[in-house]
Amino acid sequence: MEWFLEPFALGFQQRALMGGALAGLMASVVGTWLVLRGMSFFGDAFVHGVVPGIAAAVVLDINPVIGAALAALFMVIAIEVVHRNTTLSEDTSIGLLFVGMLALGVMIISRLDSYAGSLTTILFGDALGITTVDLITQAILAIIIITATTLFYRPLLALSFNKEKAQIWGLAPNRAHAALLVLIAAAVIGSFQSVGTLLVFGLLVGPPAAAALISRTVPRMMVTSAVIALFSVWIGLTLSYHLGTAGSATMALTPIVIFFLVLAIKQLKPRAKDQVLVDA
Amino acid sequence: MPSAVIATDVVIARGHRIALDRSSFQIPTGKITAIIGPNGSGKSTILHAIAGLLPIDSGTISVLGGEPEKSQRSVSYVLQYAAVPAGTPLTVTEAVQMGRYSTLGAFRRPTRADREKVAAAMAHLEITDLAKRHLTELSGGQRQRVYVAQGIAQDHALLLLDEPLTGLDLNSAKTIDAIIHDEPNRGCSVVLTTHDLEEAKAADYVILTAGRVVACGTPDEVLTAVNLTNAYGLGALHVRDEAAALFPTEHHHGPDGHQHGPDGH
Repeated sequence: MEWFLEPFALGFQQRALMGGALAGLMASVVGTWLVLRGMSFFGDAFVHGVVPGIAAAVVLDINPVIGAALAALFMVIAIEVVHRNTTLSEDTSIGLLFVGMLALGVMIISRLDSYAGSLTTILFGDALGITTVDLITQAILAIIIITATTLFYRPLLALSFNKEKAQIWGLAPNRAHAALLVLIAAAVIGSFQSVGTLLVFGLLVGPPAAAALISRTVPRMMVTSAVIALFSVWIGLTLSYHLGTAGSATMALTPIVIFFLVLAIKQLKPRAKDQVLVDA
Repeated sequence: MPSAVIATDVVIARGHRIALDRSSFQIPTGKITAIIGPNGSGKSTILHAIAGLLPIDSGTISVLGGEPEKSQRSVSYVLQYAAVPAGTPLTVTEAVQMGRYSTLGAFRRPTRADREKVAAAMAHLEITDLAKRHLTELSGGQRQRVYVAQGIAQDHALLLLDEPLTGLDLNSAKTIDAIIHDEPNRGCSVVLTTHDLEEAKAADYVILTAGRVVACGTPDEVLTAVNLTNAYGLGALHVRDEAAALFPTEHHHGPDGHQHGPDGH
């Protein structure tokens, strides 16, 4: 038991656990829709797209959350502009912005004396440096995200099912899509300080993907995803303490390992249940 | 009885391509209308325009007496099962329940009446025993039955079906065909697209399209050797001048019994 309790004996360790848990909760709930809509590449690009905003905020000594929010807004608008004004597919416009924004962020941060340290903090987070103010911000964002996800459940489900059907049902798929982008932005902004921009993606995609393997309905997938995320944060921090590895990286790796474990177990199980019914 | 759909000189572009050139047609109320034509002839484009999912570039289209976008809540559109990925984790019951979203909106809780309509739709499509199955566990025919059940669970006056019987097993095709022919008895108008001449012959009214509506009327009036040769033998007729040259004197009957030329005039 001591093996499990020892990593969280001190205040900063407990704040790391709480910060990671809130990040995991936010990212896994929003990530469920991201995975269901096949927007994982967008999510990957998005978490990197906020880097220049955070870097500029560090250089200008303003709140990184503001910088990240502005960069996220720019990213979404730029993807839409490229997509609507060219014949290029959306993944090409996402790819362009992905590389462009990440490069811009590294350029900005490279002007700082503590270049390597700042870049590492942005990309990989600083779970052990989370303050009480950070936790309060994260908790507010988590409440907003979970409430919004519950309220917009039908529009988001309809959008995941089929955009045209969603429109006929009067569930405004474009507005639902915009709301989802805002929720993703909020989850990324609320998570990057604890797990870093690079590793938020692990919590956005890992837990929902693992949950998708064992869930038959969307609400169950969301709950399972949140449980996997919380477990990943806890076991990730515990392992990082005992193994001496980076906390945020260990947290982000855990759901990916869980995904492959679940997949392996599913492959080994008898597959009778998965057989397609033959028409009567 | 007024027509469920009245389209006049409609032109619809998809990107830089004219998907449906200047066409006029009417769809009778309380009848089954089949839209038939070769691939890329504008069949699905017409359905999308009626459903208010595709803006028209010129002309006018009235659906149930109003603009297509404003009539959407009274229009149920069943897409081809292959066009709807089954990846979203949904049971059959949940998928059919989504048909009630147009009435319930984003927030209202389903009532007993909503649940009864879902159960009735599932019973009609003979999928009650599949209620707890996941969509990915169903065959193509079973999934199509689920999507038709979703369509009829929705409150509607006009039912649109995009190739509802294409590629289905005989049992699913028979079940869905029976539903289609039962809809007019409930006062609903049905519009379906098809490649199958037999299916078109079983309809009350037929629209033949080949890049533009080239004929509309009863099956006997429309499905003639000359019309079919023109539509299928020549491929899509996107260029207005070419079409005018091909059909200089041919006339067709509209749902109101009036004569209509290839452009509906």
